Amino acid sequence: MLKMNEVSKIFRTELVETRALDKFSLTVDEGEFVTITGPSGCGKTTFLNIAGLLETFSTGQYLLDGVDVSQLKDFARAKLRNEKIGFIFQSFNLMPDLNLFDNIDVPLRYRGVKTAERKDRIERALDSVGLLARKKHVPSQLSGGQQQRVAIARALVGNPLFLLADEPTGNLDSNTALGVMELLNEINESGTTIIMVTHDHDLATRSQRNIQILDGRIHKENHNKTTAAVAA
Amino acid sequence: MFFYYLRLSALSYKRNPILSSLMVLAVAIGIGAYMVVFTLNYIIGGDPIPHKSDTLYHAQLDIRTLGQNRDVPRQLTYMDASSLFDAQRADRQTMTSKFSGILEPSNPELRPFSINGRGTTSDFFTMFEVPFIYGNPWGSQEDANQEQVAILSKDMNEQLFGGLNSVGETIQVEGNSFQIIGVIDKWNPVPKFYDVNNGPLDNGEEVYIPWSLILSLELPRAGNTNCFKAFEGEGLQAFLNSECVWIQYWVELTSLDAKADYLSFINDYTAQQKQIGRFESELNNKLFDVNEWLIEQEVQPDETRILVALAAMLLAVCLLNTIGLLLSKFLGKAGEIGVRQALGAHKGSLFLQHVIEAGFIGLLGGILGLGFAALGLRGIRYLLNEDQTLTEWIRLDPTVIGITVALAIVSTIIAGLYPIWRACNINPAIHLKTQ
Repeated sequence: MLKMNEVSKIFRTELVETRALDKFSLTVDEGEFVTITGPSGCGKTTFLNIAGLLETFSTGQYLLDGVDVSQLKDFARAKLRNEKIGFIFQSFNLMPDLNLFDNIDVPLRYRGVKTAERKDRIERALDSVGLLARKKHVPSQLSGGQQQRVAIARALVGNPLFLLADEPTGNLDSNTALGVMELLNEINESGTTIIMVTHDHDLATRSQRNIQILDGRIHKENHNKTTAAVAA
Repeated sequence: MFFYYLRLSALSYKRNPILSSLMVLAVAIGIGAYMVVFTLNYIIGGDPIPHKSDTLYHAQLDIRTLGQNRDVPRQLTYMDASSLFDAQRADRQTMTSKFSGILEPSNPELRPFSINGRGTTSDFFTMFEVPFIYGNPWGSQEDANQEQVAILSKDMNEQLFGGLNSVGETIQVEGNSFQIIGVIDKWNPVPKFYDVNNGPLDNGEEVYIPWSLILSLELPRAGNTNCFKAFEGEGLQAFLNSECVWIQYWVELTSLDAKADYLSFINDYTAQQKQIGRFESELNNKLFDVNEWLIEQEVQPDETRILVALAAMLLAVCLLNTIGLLLSKFLGKAGEIGVRQALGAHKGSLFLQHVIEAGFIGLLGGILGLGFAALGLRGIRYLLNEDQTLTEWIRLDPTVIGITVALAIVSTIIAGLYPIWRACNINPAIHLKTQ
């Protein structure tokens, strides 16, 4: 489903050349829950941005659902992002002017989904995170945990192939973080692939596979017990 | 998506009201100032009778004596105008001139007052498509018989008869009785092309009578009279035989062949007159259509073009400010733009969203600018009225309103292109992490 072959990303300035990813190879299969860990600056976020088609890479090959993305133009990349990928961010990245309904509406708008279907999908997504009753509220009226739930609903509303989560619990207290993690586990159990970057080693053990990155390369790979087993 | 983007534009305005209002104000000031000058220029420089201005011709005969260093006369002498008119060689023709007089209302409650009148031959009303609310124009028979009939302007009919149908009533002008046969609807071509000698931007006359009555009743002539030779003798007849120009002469010619024939006709006439010692200069007769005539007579002063250029420069300065403000606003939305890209927006859709947002700012600026322009024009009317100039025509008409709003929207979008381009080319990854 996601296959990177010796992908490198080099940032160049006049004085310095930095290899954020160095011949990075990774395959993620459908239904997996993979966590990415590593020290700051090791290339976790760069990997996530490339995986999410938000950044291009310097060399290598990246196949997303069988499509070689290296030659795709902006329009095709945006379409792939919209249809195949759901994003969850550390700082939630909800739009402050829009209410919850309209926030979740954004990806469907870009997909051109009809009004009635959009309404149905948005309400189901909000219901799935327990916030349907607050659909007319704006993000500032919610707690951090609730905002992240809305962000998850937004990521899921388009039925993406996989979720990319960049430290989704980084701005939450431990109890709320656990709640969000449980929600992600439920989503994964229902069949959605999740790739999550985290600093939290405890959370990393709750995934099926943990990839440790160091200096832009895979340093270590651990296959954990199933999430269901961990939860038990 | 258009209405979705429009809604996002309104939300964006609310999110940053001060910055957004500054942009609207900058656009409004520039547009308002430009539209004040544009309106004046548009009205003065416009075609006052667009659908037939190319078939109406002003005849100009060069009666200057040899060595006379003066402009070619704008008007015709009585001898020339009446000769051309009597020949009836054009499809339609009219000789017309202004007169003044004291009107004595039949209503005893109204005091006598002075009026501006126009003596004209019957084709005037058909040629210039003068609209009537009551009655009809007189015909050639009334012209020939010198019948004392009159047509009132709408305002004069309002003043004398409260706007009721006054056909059949009589008025007294300079002690002469005229039977009213028609009332003109609102008709005020700007510029007043048919007589640019006597205030091309003034309102039209209030009373119209057959041209020959000016002579037979010896009504006071008004407007410019220029004499190219000292005339011999005294009295009206001596004046009529003189080389003094005071009559505007127009013909309607519906084809270029007809125009060529008519020019040939007046050249032949001039050649005949040369034989009796008139028309000393080289042959220099001309037929100007309405727009050529307005340009020839410099009805639109050069100053208005300079003003338009200055106002355009002010608009450009305001738009430069708007570019800066839009840049600040759109780059301030980098986080949102990044999120939208992550959620599936391509650069084209982001570009369209921000073009609509810039257009929304332009629309608001245009509406406010219309208010400024209306105030500016009111100020100009006030200033000109101090000089007793009639300025009813200085106003925003629907065309100008449309142009104002369109100009505001288009110019703001153009001003926004660079900020939009910058905003749409941000690296979303950076802003998603740091938002």
